[in-house]
Amino acid sequence: MIDEIFLSQLKQSVDLFLPETILVATFIIALIFDLIYKNSRYLIAVISIIGLVFSGIFLVNQSTSSAAIFSGMLSFDPFGNFFKILILLTTIIIVLMSVFSKELYEGGRKTGEYYILIVGMTFGMFLLAVANNLIIVYLAIETMSISSYILAGYTKEIKRASEASLKYVIFGAVSSGMMIYGISLIYGLTGSLTFDAINSAMISSDISGLTLLIAGLMIIAGIGYKISAVPFHFWTPDVYEGAPITITAYLSVASKAAGFAVLIRFLKVSFFDSTNYANDEIWTLIGTIDWQIVIAILSVLTMTLGNLVALWQTNMKRLLAYSSIAHAGYILMGVVVMTDIGVTSVLIYFFVYMIMNLGAFLVVMIIANKTGNEDIQKYNGIGHKAPFVSACMVIFLISLTGLPPTAGFIGKWAVFTAVLKSEYIWLAVVGVLNSVVSLYYYVKIFRNMYIRNFEDDSEIYEFSPGTYILLIILAVPTLIFGIYFTPLLDWAESSVKIFLGV
Amino acid sequence: MFTILGVGPLTWITFLPIVSMIILLLIPSGRDEKSKMVSHILFRWLTVLTTFLQLLLALAIYFNFDFGLTGINQQSTMQFVERVRWIEIQNLPLLGNLKIDYFVGIDGLSAPMVLLTAIVCFAASFASFGIEKGVKGYFAMYLLLDTGMMGVFVALDFFLFYVFWEVMLLPMYFLIGIWGGPRKEYAAIKFFLYTLLGSVFMLLVMIALYFAVGTFNMFDMMDPSKYDPSSILAGADTFWRYVAFAALFIGFAIKVPSVPFHTWLPDAHVEAPTPISVILAGVLLKMGTYGMLRISWPMFPDAVRYFQDYIAFVGMVSIVYGALCALGQHKVGKRDFKKLIAYSSVSHMGYVVLGMAAMNPEGMIGAIFQMFNHGIITSMLFMIVGVIYDRAHTRGLDDFGGLANKMPVYTGIMAIAFFGAIGLPGLSSFISEFLVFVGAFKTYPVLTIISGSGIILGAGYMLWTLQKVFFGKLPERWAGPWDPTGKKYKHDDLMPVEYAALVPLAIIIIYLGIYPIPITDLMNTSINHLIDFVKTTGSFAAHL
Amino acid sequence: MSLIDIAFYFFAILIIASAYIVVTSKNIMYSAFALLFTFFGVAGIYVLLNADFLAITQIVIYIGGILVLIIFGVMLTNRITGVDIKTGTMSKFQIWMTAILCVIAAIGLILIFTQTNWNTALSPTKASTIEDIGTLLLTDYLIGFEIASVLLLIAIIGAALIARRKTN
Repeated sequence: MIDEIFLSQLKQSVDLFLPETILVATFIIALIFDLIYKNSRYLIAVISIIGLVFSGIFLVNQSTSSAAIFSGMLSFDPFGNFFKILILLTTIIIVLMSVFSKELYEGGRKTGEYYILIVGMTFGMFLLAVANNLIIVYLAIETMSISSYILAGYTKEIKRASEASLKYVIFGAVSSGMMIYGISLIYGLTGSLTFDAINSAMISSDISGLTLLIAGLMIIAGIGYKISAVPFHFWTPDVYEGAPITITAYLSVASKAAGFAVLIRFLKVSFFDSTNYANDEIWTLIGTIDWQIVIAILSVLTMTLGNLVALWQTNMKRLLAYSSIAHAGYILMGVVVMTDIGVTSVLIYFFVYMIMNLGAFLVVMIIANKTGNEDIQKYNGIGHKAPFVSACMVIFLISLTGLPPTAGFIGKWAVFTAVLKSEYIWLAVVGVLNSVVSLYYYVKIFRNMYIRNFEDDSEIYEFSPGTYILLIILAVPTLIFGIYFTPLLDWAESSVKIFLGV
Repeated sequence: MFTILGVGPLTWITFLPIVSMIILLLIPSGRDEKSKMVSHILFRWLTVLTTFLQLLLALAIYFNFDFGLTGINQQSTMQFVERVRWIEIQNLPLLGNLKIDYFVGIDGLSAPMVLLTAIVCFAASFASFGIEKGVKGYFAMYLLLDTGMMGVFVALDFFLFYVFWEVMLLPMYFLIGIWGGPRKEYAAIKFFLYTLLGSVFMLLVMIALYFAVGTFNMFDMMDPSKYDPSSILAGADTFWRYVAFAALFIGFAIKVPSVPFHTWLPDAHVEAPTPISVILAGVLLKMGTYGMLRISWPMFPDAVRYFQDYIAFVGMVSIVYGALCALGQHKVGKRDFKKLIAYSSVSHMGYVVLGMAAMNPEGMIGAIFQMFNHGIITSMLFMIVGVIYDRAHTRGLDDFGGLANKMPVYTGIMAIAFFGAIGLPGLSSFISEFLVFVGAFKTYPVLTIISGSGIILGAGYMLWTLQKVFFGKLPERWAGPWDPTGKKYKHDDLMPVEYAALVPLAIIIIYLGIYPIPITDLMNTSINHLIDFVKTTGSFAAHL
Repeated sequence: MSLIDIAFYFFAILIIASAYIVVTSKNIMYSAFALLFTFFGVAGIYVLLNADFLAITQIVIYIGGILVLIIFGVMLTNRITGVDIKTGTMSKFQIWMTAILCVIAAIGLILIFTQTNWNTALSPTKASTIEDIGTLLLTDYLIGFEIASVLLLIAIIGAALIARRKTN
């Protein structure tokens, strides 16, 4: 069975798999160093950063390659590469953020495993972004989830953290149970687990609609849990509130990115009539099930519920949790469109969302380091105590609302463009109304910062230069991409092609 | 077109405030009392200098303006045009080639607005001298707001227009929210939410128009032959064109504001600090009506025809309702001087809408001239309120009386603004209101007659105010000097800074009242062309 | 009804009944022992499906490994055995809603299983599947195999982390 062809293919696969291999190597090296140097504070963080950067270099190099590797289990394509770079950037920023986190290092806590698990989680998300087989999807989701369960409860002496972790595990187990049930149904229907083989099986034979709907919904539920789409979002607020801020930020960006990558790939490769791929504009779904409507309903529910509930939140982490649910809804609008323009808009939105959301969480972390918690009341008068940090926060929040001249506007604009192009006008109207609603709670934050207790003679907070640099790293692109977004659009546009199997 | 350092005057006039803002942010505010005072003086005069340079630029533009060019729908007849490719991406999936230009230029429609913005911002910068807390932030926001407003009036690319339109929201929020009155939080967020609600619909229409013509260039969007026949906005008198027009109209009407979208305005005005009230009334409200004329009217002529009657009705309702509410301030509520003027703004902007709906040269020129006059007069009125509020810390209409004896010069200047607001012959707004009525009467005689009651009501509330506040007996509590220490107010009448803000505006009111040609000629060619264009394009002609 | 059918129903009832005890029993020890029968029943089903390797794995790993560990854990921590592990109470409404949902789900699943045109394979001719599984795991499913190893490593680290006593 093992022949020359297989070996040469394997060699090619291993070559392409280099970024992931580096991650695993980093994981192991970090583990060993953690055993040797037990009490070093930042060593493992440094090792992780080095590994991540190396991985990134190879990742950027293969941004144009497009191939199915490991017997069609993984599809390496520009689309997956985009998400991998996004996840990697997020990871690097999160690791840098964690170094400045007070909550994480409190009481001399050992943080070696923390960074190790982040690297492991990155590995899982990388695989999810390129997975082309439901078994791999499942394994990747588990790799990512198990790391994140532990990370969410990393500050385990704090009650709400361990509670968050437990809730996360239970909901996660239920959703992955549902997902694997759906996977088994799909296997029963099509006799295959690879996306393109599912597609060809569906084209060639008659598939029962109801079973396919149930199976598809179960798989979407599993993914929906990862992207916290309503009604699979129940865990989000509690986990986001309980987990360390850095992990909350990480979950809200990276694990969502991985979830969206696999959702789009699964829908586009499995459920579209692949005989029609030549034509960009006309995508037809196979079978009788209108997946577009399913996703549209998810999208409307997600953004509306996220925004409405966010209005009442008084804890910043919880507020941003609901806001991130709402943003998942906006991104789902792009998924609804399902054409290339829809996917492009998702990519643009995601990149923008990454920058601004990480920025907002960074500010929350910086302020929590000073005030000790994330209560929105604590933000009163921060505008004068920490002028630069507050100004950056305003930029991030304006961007999250989607007002020009910030990057968030470009994201919203791209998504609405995609939705209007496919003439889903009602969806666009719901979307813009939602962004008006969202303004209210974002404004609430900088209202507290600037309007409440605005005293000229209050104390001034001092921050370390590192946090300022991180803030600048995030705030400047938020503005730059709002004014000059050609590179972003170019990159998203060139990354839209999904490798459609052999 | 003249250039300065190779850059056109419109770019200068728009971005000069941003440059100043950056300089201002780099100046440290100082910790101890003395350095604080020095820095505050620096911030104030930097802003005055910036707005003064802006005014000079506006005047230079005015004197270099060719009154014979039509503008409106052709780049070739726009003036001071600058066009640089801003974003260009080839072969985007389905979007084709995305092109967004940095495209600015003015014609007879926008030139008066640019001039108005420069004048009002300059005058309001003097009125800002009273700001004591967070001076640096205040002036930074003020300058940012200035750029946003100027940008809206010069932008000829819809995307650029939208960006400027939204840029202005945040500084306005902070200016009301931080430096405003007791209910500032409520007023600021109300303003923010209302205007954002309007502008998100504008965003959707903008994207739909982009799909129809393939660019963000406003001129292409005005040309029916550029529309892609498969687009939902193609053709004329279709359902979606009406929807798009209505969405745009609501977006702009919120800004004007027309009844029933006006409820944010009294709150915002009452709570905003004086200079911001001045800018709100003087410039921001005009952006709504300007947007209608720049975008809605030429791009959707068929829908204008369809909705014309309703728009005129909205104008009429705004006039009468605004005037009644203003009159009501004498009897109900807190009897707030500022609220009275806020409602009078709703009423006066109603004339503009009525004149625009009339679609004839008299009405239209009257409408735009009214925009200009209202900008100047209402700015003055708000400053006048600011003057007594700064001294007495109250704005109650019933709290005063006999101020004419205490502050004779002030009363004299005030009288010009008051009679200007009433529309007394010899003052500028008489001409504009007269033109609006003449124009509107041709098209809508009944509505115009009803609207005429707005003039009478206007005279009523203004004269009543005059009588209550300035004549009669001075209450005991104000018998002494405003400032017994003599530190801030050396005498009871106006201070030099207040003269600087008020006198030029008064001169403009009188001058234009006697000789309106400088402004009416400025817009004449363009407005006539606009009316012709709207009437001959699309299916407007078919309806007549 | 053939012998195979009888065996299937026997195992199916065994699985459901013992799983019910696992969930409802108030004593964690009883739950653990009931779990043994559940695992055993599943192994039986695997045998009926000709999945010999899976059946053996099920017995060796789940019964021989995991379950024994659980029972040891329970026995060594004497405090847990007596604890009533059910938490909270459900209202009548919740119970009814759950019941209704379960019935709907059951009907849906029965419909699915009876109505669907499944992609069935011929009954296997090979005596043993071990060789095929081994080959596949190191060829087509190589990457899955590797991912699983990383996954387990992460899980071990996590377990150690959770179990670690508070230091410093």
